[in-house]
Amino acid sequence: MIALNHDPYNLIITGVGGQGNVISSRMIGNMLSARGFQVTIGETFGASQRGGAVMSHVRISSTTTLSPQIPEHQAHMVVSLEPMETLRVLESYGNPDVGVICNTRPTHPIGVISGRLSYPSMEEMEKTITRLSARSWFFDATAMATKIGDPIFANIIMAGALAGTGELPLDRNVFEETLKSKFPPNKVALNLEAYDKGYGMINRD
Amino acid sequence: MQILGPTELSHRILNGDLCTSCGACADLCPYLKSHGVKIANVFACDRETGRCYAACPKTGVDETLLSETLFALPWKDAPLGHYRRLYMAKQGPKTPKGNYQNGGTVSSLVIAALEQGVIDKAVLTGSDGIMPRPRMVTTAGQVLECATSKYIAAPTMARLNRAATEGDRNLGMVGTPCQMTGLASLRTNPLARSDFEDPMGMVIGIFCTWALSAQGLFSYLERQEIDPLAVRSMDIPPPPAENALIALEEEVKELPLDDIRKLVLPGCSVCPDMTALWTDLSVGALEENPEWNTLIVRTERGEALVDRAVETGLLEIQPISQTSVDNLTLAAANKRKRALAARERLGMLDPAFQKPVEVQPKQTIMGFK
Amino acid sequence: MSPLTRGNPGETHLMMGNEAIVRGALEAGISVAAGYPGTPSSEIIETLAKISDDIYTEWSVNEKVALEVAAAASFAGLRSLAVMKQPGVNVAADFLMHLALSGVRGGMVIVAADDPGALSSINEGETRLYAKLMEIPMLEPGNFQEAREMTCWAFELSETLNMPVLLRTVTRLSHASGRVTLGKLPIPDRKAFFRFDGDMLDPMEGPIMTPPVGIKHQSQQKKLQQAAKLFEESPFNTYEGPESPELLIITTSICDLYSKEVVALLGVKDRVGVLKLGTTWPLPAQPVLSRLATTRNVLFVEEVQPFIEEAVKVLAAGSQLDLSSLTFYGKYSRHIPMAGEMNPERVTAALSTILRLESGPVSPVSKNYPGTSLPPIPPREISFCPGCPHRASFFSINTVLQLDNRQGFTCGDIGCYSMGMLPGGFFTLKTLHSMGSGSGLASGFGKLDKFGMDQPVVAVCGDSTFFHSAMPPLVNAIHNRSAFTLVILDNSGTAMTGFQPHPGLPVDTKGNQAPPIDIERVCRAMGATTRTCDPFDLKATQKQLLEFINGKEENQGGVKVLILKQACALSPKKRHTQSFEVAVDPDRCIGEACGCNRICTRVFACPGLIWDAENNRATINDVLCAGCGVCASVCPQNAIQRKEFP
Repeated sequence: MIALNHDPYNLIITGVGGQGNVISSRMIGNMLSARGFQVTIGETFGASQRGGAVMSHVRISSTTTLSPQIPEHQAHMVVSLEPMETLRVLESYGNPDVGVICNTRPTHPIGVISGRLSYPSMEEMEKTITRLSARSWFFDATAMATKIGDPIFANIIMAGALAGTGELPLDRNVFEETLKSKFPPNKVALNLEAYDKGYGMINRD
Repeated sequence: MQILGPTELSHRILNGDLCTSCGACADLCPYLKSHGVKIANVFACDRETGRCYAACPKTGVDETLLSETLFALPWKDAPLGHYRRLYMAKQGPKTPKGNYQNGGTVSSLVIAALEQGVIDKAVLTGSDGIMPRPRMVTTAGQVLECATSKYIAAPTMARLNRAATEGDRNLGMVGTPCQMTGLASLRTNPLARSDFEDPMGMVIGIFCTWALSAQGLFSYLERQEIDPLAVRSMDIPPPPAENALIALEEEVKELPLDDIRKLVLPGCSVCPDMTALWTDLSVGALEENPEWNTLIVRTERGEALVDRAVETGLLEIQPISQTSVDNLTLAAANKRKRALAARERLGMLDPAFQKPVEVQPKQTIMGFK
Repeated sequence: MSPLTRGNPGETHLMMGNEAIVRGALEAGISVAAGYPGTPSSEIIETLAKISDDIYTEWSVNEKVALEVAAAASFAGLRSLAVMKQPGVNVAADFLMHLALSGVRGGMVIVAADDPGALSSINEGETRLYAKLMEIPMLEPGNFQEAREMTCWAFELSETLNMPVLLRTVTRLSHASGRVTLGKLPIPDRKAFFRFDGDMLDPMEGPIMTPPVGIKHQSQQKKLQQAAKLFEESPFNTYEGPESPELLIITTSICDLYSKEVVALLGVKDRVGVLKLGTTWPLPAQPVLSRLATTRNVLFVEEVQPFIEEAVKVLAAGSQLDLSSLTFYGKYSRHIPMAGEMNPERVTAALSTILRLESGPVSPVSKNYPGTSLPPIPPREISFCPGCPHRASFFSINTVLQLDNRQGFTCGDIGCYSMGMLPGGFFTLKTLHSMGSGSGLASGFGKLDKFGMDQPVVAVCGDSTFFHSAMPPLVNAIHNRSAFTLVILDNSGTAMTGFQPHPGLPVDTKGNQAPPIDIERVCRAMGATTRTCDPFDLKATQKQLLEFINGKEENQGGVKVLILKQACALSPKKRHTQSFEVAVDPDRCIGEACGCNRICTRVFACPGLIWDAENNRATINDVLCAGCGVCASVCPQNAIQRKEFP
């Protein structure tokens, strides 16, 4: 089995209810489980679907079953479907060595829509996120997904981007197999397109 | 005069028991709405200034501004306000027969205004038993249906606001002094909205000394074992009568006026206006002769309407006696004096009354997480 | 095809805790499964319904009925499963107490899913105390593999004892995923027959009932003793650590993983041992006492109540152990908080204090990391989805109660519409308790006119909640001449938990045709005045509601039912469809000016809208807007315009 950069490796996928967090974390989990890793995915759903902040903890180890909650400040990578949620995750789980992949499309919370609170500017957030992480990538995955045909594909674009970083042994063939077992052929092609688009967003040097 | 917002209006007037339900603040926006004879705050509005506050006749009246806007004249502190003519008037031979309390002058003038095309529609106050109901009318028949005295305050202005917001223009309105003051304030375009147009074609005021609280009257009648919903009409004869007449299906009950007076809205005590100062025409009873009305002509267009109404046989006018004018002036001056004293007593003249209210924002809840 | 039905023994798959439970039940050869949806339990019945045609699966009308349906199968000799979230156990408790006493025949397991931390609940209730109260055995899986294995074994245990067995899971296990190695799927003999003509006391052939209570209760106690004995040998109770640890952690359920991880993270494996209990009621004496004898310090890590802590202390008090040499840490010593769920941080804090670790309760990373001193991040309040009918319904209810102006109020109930208590629901709900309680409270409030109360009373309930438990209070209210208006927020499914069908729909649990029960006709038959409106038609809804609330003479008083019917925006039939194309005409929008003060974003606050503060205008969020068009009715300027899609 390929060795992990860190064992356990702690990955957080975050976003807003309805953005497809759960699918994304399960796809990644399945890809790693298929390669023989011990994977635990911690998540909550229910009320969080209704526009709340959602977070999946994906924990990967070659030896033991881990708890579904990453201890504070122990994340190795944060994949975020919404920029402000990136900050929220870093606040509790970040550390100087963490990596971040961030979709730059904001989803305003009710407090912001109603004007009680203000949403930070993307510039400001990008600066803070860069300061709080060892490496970071920013792009508008929602715009890319809309071009593919549905903003929901942003979650798969982000998964592709994660693969692009080379941080985890994610195998495109396994992704394709997993897709085929879950989706009809036309959906498989679109998901693969999304995955590849995301993969291409990462500058590997 | 400083214009504050809905928060101050709610705290000082609506919840402060000074509201006379004129409706001037209501139906200008999605927040303050009239329902029945009450004004309801449907959702909170956090604006610091609002037309609702500006329109309210109780928050303070900028008489200088009203005078300049409506009459293009400086304000002079006269009990009867600006006027061009004073008459005694009554319905003309062409006025359809109706159940007029006095001379039928108001109905005649509204019918004339509609017939002459001075206005397209008019907002009046009809009634459902003793409950007043604001109504939009377009025909003489509908005008007649509204022709009785009402003793309960009604948010007729809210109906007018709704019509104006929906884009109606060339409107007529008949209302009490508080309603007319609210209307006049709105016609000054407070907060200077760029899309403002004066919707009024003719404004007719009616004299008023007080109005009753609907809730108060209802519970009083219930205590007298009278079903308020079964009352067909109510009448308060001029002095020296000591009883109000409550007409039921089969009988007329008499109730002491002393009791009824206790049901007057507290907000009426601070009203300085008896003759509806801010109108084109104002009409009231003529104490000396119940067959006739007192008619105050305030504006040029009011005067033109009176002339056309007389020409078309919808109105009869005669010179009014000096005694009547003197009596009216004295009564109006007294009401004004009493109101100012009441305002002072209630702290309404205190500068603090015109200051913003500090409110704690409603607590936000984070949710289930 | 799902690995749940196809997977071969020995294969390993990534599975959700709930899926592992499903697989365990299938490996036990269950024939009947019934439940009522509730987070975090819903996926169990849902998955069974989807993957297996061999078993009978049912979304029952409520948890008590689900338990009865499952019990019937057991009485007829089949293995059966009842599934519910914790509050559902409360609903089923009456039957459960009798079932525990009467005993069962085919293996019967009750899966109760607790939600420590109330992640998607409105209480933090504990099922474990029911095991003690009902006097039935309980198992608590500590990981995904155990979820499968324990579930499977629970049926065997149930048949050994002729008792229902409680399997207690928690959100962090049920909704988390991990690796599960599969066991064998049997080909069970599924012949149902209810024997009743044996001796009264014969558990396999006699009638099944609780009397004679004295004898039955004695036999129940004997069975529990037998269970305790079996538990002594159970492989689900494990110990990991030094032979004589400085500190012994006694833990259960998912807390086992937190404990072991933190012990490793803090580098104290040589000082701390972890005793994990999987068979937690009745507590097996030997494994616990033998471990207590090897240490002087004990820490209990469990959620939510100090259940094991108390049981162990009782056990220790009755043993030969020298209690003066033992120090107990846990909820009673406040080393572990009394409320809320467990997590690695809480275990870290407790261990750091007890072992006097230098790093202290704060993780060393966080001290210098600038991420811990960020300016406040705006919270993300949960709210109704774009296009949700509840937002429109609450907008109308709130409007009407304010118009009526007699300080009327709304009693809430359980579902997505519980969010009516939040800003997104205009703070409309003033009471919120258990399923059906909104109507029960309203029935009571509606009788207080006798004592001078003239506030109008409104109750809300969802379509599924109506069948679950709002019908009895409605009957109560009508019969007792209470006066209130029940607004049934009918969004055509059990939306919050994922669109499980209910008796009002023309489909059953497996999606086959079924006779629907018409809510309005039911209410009318009870004697209520009823109307149905489309909540998206704000005007008509408000007019009807106003008439009900401060109605005309002819329908004053009594119980009124207004059904607001409009399918959930996320329902399979509506998802990805839009009725209207919605756009804002910037020339008409007056933003914050007097006359509007942006009611669309400030008050109505649909997430499908965006407030563009810079330009003082509202805009539509094209990604999120569901095209319901209600905001166009809310806009006083006709600036929000909707165009029907061709």
